[in-house]
Amino acid sequence: MTNRLDLEAEIQRLLTEHDRISELGITVHRRDDLVMLGGEVESAQRRDEICRQIAVHFPDVEIICDIGVTRAQAPSEVEEIS
Amino acid sequence: MIRIAAVGDVHVDKDVLGRYRPALEELPDRADALLVAGDLTRHGTAEEARCFATEFGGLGVPVVVVLGNHDHQSDRQGEVAAVLTGAGITVLEGAATVLELHGHRLGIAGVKGFGGGFAGACASNFGEREMKDFVGTTEAAAASLAAALRSVECDALVALTHYSPVPETLVGEPLEIYAFLGSYQLGQAIDSAPAALALHGHAHHGSERGRTPGGVPVRNVAHPVIKQGYNVYQLLSGGGDAQLAGAAWIEVFGFGRSGTRGVMYTLLWILAVILVVSGIVALFRRQLLWGIVLIIVGLLVGPGGVSLFT
Repeated sequence: MTNRLDLEAEIQRLLTEHDRISELGITVHRRDDLVMLGGEVESAQRRDEICRQIAVHFPDVEIICDIGVTRAQAPSEVEEIS
Repeated sequence: MIRIAAVGDVHVDKDVLGRYRPALEELPDRADALLVAGDLTRHGTAEEARCFATEFGGLGVPVVVVLGNHDHQSDRQGEVAAVLTGAGITVLEGAATVLELHGHRLGIAGVKGFGGGFAGACASNFGEREMKDFVGTTEAAAASLAAALRSVECDALVALTHYSPVPETLVGEPLEIYAFLGSYQLGQAIDSAPAALALHGHAHHGSERGRTPGGVPVRNVAHPVIKQGYNVYQLLSGGGDAQLAGAAWIEVFGFGRSGTRGVMYTLLWILAVILVVSGIVALFRRQLLWGIVLIIVGLLVGPGGVSLFT
């Protein structure tokens, strides 16, 4: 496990600025010797690419990739605005 | 009654094609228009804009959008907007549009907006040029939204932004980044006009519901917040329908309409009444065929129902 204090910031910037990721909505939390990634993306390919890129750029970091794919079903209810 | 569907932050690229479509195919049965609150694409390229138009266009209902920060990533926002406009999608940036829906006028004013923060923790137009540019961008966006909101005459007015106008719909995001997620100036702009609803996206970890200081309902429709293809909001339902019921005869006879259209409706109604009454009189005189013909012609002439002029 790296001791770099800026690890979360580096991961966050990679997630945003890497052209194959471009995700601003991923959370990065450090828990003991783990880094946990959370949030949701639009496709399973995007989630897998995030996990792959993190593994490539931070090979010495143990990552848990707990990222979901946002559901896109039709709504069943209407909200009345008043 | 008007029903509008709304979603934001759909970040469409080739890998998303087809994901929304099943829900969107059902949209015309559930809503009269679709509003998308920015971040239509991942990197703001023309190719991604075409993917968005393929996925969200051709629905059979009007589609109105604002761009988001992702749509600016490649500095080709003009190209993105042109692709969308070419596909029949209305793109708003400091502008407004009016949709005629079921005899109601739905006004939509939109702007991307920008950051800056909220009361107690906002940036000021002071100091370095970069700081003044940052806050100046927010101020300009808010001013253009206010002008757009006040430029339309309609029955229901909706403000559409990407950035948030209030902090309540950011709850769930780290407090430290609120200033990058919206600005109070957008809320002030919305409160400067009689808006019925404000929609925004951008805050993926935020909350769905809030209100401006002036009381306008605000909804964060970022896709990860609503967790479905789109939300549906109903406007002009309670008060609107009551007003409609009370004003039914005024509307039916054309007095509620403006200009030559109202005059035409009134004349058609008078003509229709004369024809139907003449038909009934003819029936009493046992001129059966003539009476039926007059009644049918009267029904066809009168606005509404089976009218030729509806």
